[in-house]
Amino acid sequence: MKIFFIGLLFVSFAKIACAQQDLLSFDEHNKYIYYQVVNMPGLPADSLRERGVYFLKSAFPKTFVKVSDANGVEGEGKFLTYGGISVLKHEKGEVNYQLHIEFKDQKYRFWLTGFVFTPYQRDRYGNFVPQQGINIPLENAITKLEKKDLDGYLDETGAFCKQWGDKLKIYMLKAPAQKKEEPVKKVVTDKW
Amino acid sequence: MKKILLLLCAVSAFSFAASAQDTIKTTGDAPLVLTGSVDTYFKSDFSGHANIPTSFANENSSISIGMIDLGLKKSVGKASFVGELSFGPRGQQQSIPNADPGLVAVNTPIGNVNYPGSGVGYSSYHIQNLYVSYNVTDKFNLTAGYMSTFIGYEVISPAANFNYSTSYLFTNGPFQNAGFKATYTFSAAASLMAGIFNDYWNVYQSGGKVNTFGAQLTLTPVKNWTAYLNVVTGSSYGTEFDLTTAYQITSAFKLGLNAATFSATNGYTGGFSGVALYPQVAVSKAVTLGLRGEYFQTSTGTFLTAGPPPGQSVFGATFTANIKAGPLTLIPEVRVDSSSKNTMFTDGGGNLTSSASQFVLAAVYAF
Repeated sequence: MKIFFIGLLFVSFAKIACAQQDLLSFDEHNKYIYYQVVNMPGLPADSLRERGVYFLKSAFPKTFVKVSDANGVEGEGKFLTYGGISVLKHEKGEVNYQLHIEFKDQKYRFWLTGFVFTPYQRDRYGNFVPQQGINIPLENAITKLEKKDLDGYLDETGAFCKQWGDKLKIYMLKAPAQKKEEPVKKVVTDKW
Repeated sequence: MKKILLLLCAVSAFSFAASAQDTIKTTGDAPLVLTGSVDTYFKSDFSGHANIPTSFANENSSISIGMIDLGLKKSVGKASFVGELSFGPRGQQQSIPNADPGLVAVNTPIGNVNYPGSGVGYSSYHIQNLYVSYNVTDKFNLTAGYMSTFIGYEVISPAANFNYSTSYLFTNGPFQNAGFKATYTFSAAASLMAGIFNDYWNVYQSGGKVNTFGAQLTLTPVKNWTAYLNVVTGSSYGTEFDLTTAYQITSAFKLGLNAATFSATNGYTGGFSGVALYPQVAVSKAVTLGLRGEYFQTSTGTFLTAGPPPGQSVFGATFTANIKAGPLTLIPEVRVDSSSKNTMFTDGGGNLTSSASQFVLAAVYAF
């Protein structure tokens, strides 16, 4: 019984560890890609576009939007990767990525690709900062990083992409909230 | 037993799930983070006794300890703090001051400056960094407390240095400055820090004045090249101008440079100046080789350094390898120093000589 539970524990761990990395695929240029096509019945392309742009501004305001036209949006962003467990967890590096969203009537597609890892190092003030000039495409990272570390970064990249896509879908399903003008109650003192 | 195992499974599953959530978190405050390092070393000076007077790695023919360094940091919104404590010779009497001025002070001066209450044998808080910081805007930051100095290329923490032994410029410059500073970022290519600091370097408490001015202009002229133009000046110690720069020329080759000049005040004359070059090349994902070539000279006057006597010079060449195995870095190092006159070093027979050489093997674990 004991062996069964311990085995179960290891299997669960291995499954969870692999799950996030498996979300990434390779594209025709042999680059990691997270690609999704999502149907949005009843919604025209221009509404989807408006919601997509609103998503980037609201959910990922530091995204650098390079191209934004009627067909889609292209941009760049980054997220932090962490190592260690619990309180020993701290920034290990950042992953820069390229994003693409395209809109059509009743559907949109998006992909995140061009993942480039920059390791962090400790500075004199006790903070972790990017190691200048070290930019490692995740596809070639096995020659520069330990396999265990790379697996961790790929897991985090997969998890980030999934969350990014899930969040985009939530924004796509509802129109951007319009700020309502709250009527200000005013007291007129010249008539009484 | 079954219950315990079930509980273990449940806790493990929960922690994995929690971990998965953490990794995809994109907003919110950073968690409390604990970081640090541990280091130990063996040194052998080829004369049979310690000779080279720069900081740390100074115990000869001994497997010795550096320090355990523990740093805590936390950010909430625009506010953050860093508190970093160190225990061990490197992080105590070899680098930081006595915290209790009521206890007997044993003077172990650097040069001829007796830091208030420095030396072996007294109480210390062992602080490396202790400061609070606030981002007024994305571009404007205010920081106050006891901080690693902004001067120079090398630092106390062995995890943040490439070479294990230290340079003359590092040893004779400030280690920490307590004060208040403001930093404004003009663009990705330029920022300026200006601050007011305690009268003496490396003290928790001022000698009665907060009258040292410090500034740092940070420039990034091209991608992957950053230069820091620094000045620290005050009537209690003196004025140091410093240039620290590093250029990651390719993904494998980095070139660093530190140049500084110091003029003493407060009754002393003279000072020092020097330049150190740090080429480093990564030969594999685990091994990086580096050289430090340093020329250091003292001016004639009454100010003494941890180095050659006034009016003399020394050249140091240090060949270092960093061999990484996960969080552990092995650092074998060979160093040869050569002075302009037979006044600094002694040979195996105790006679004055113009050169000294040593081998160090250090291990640094960073987390």
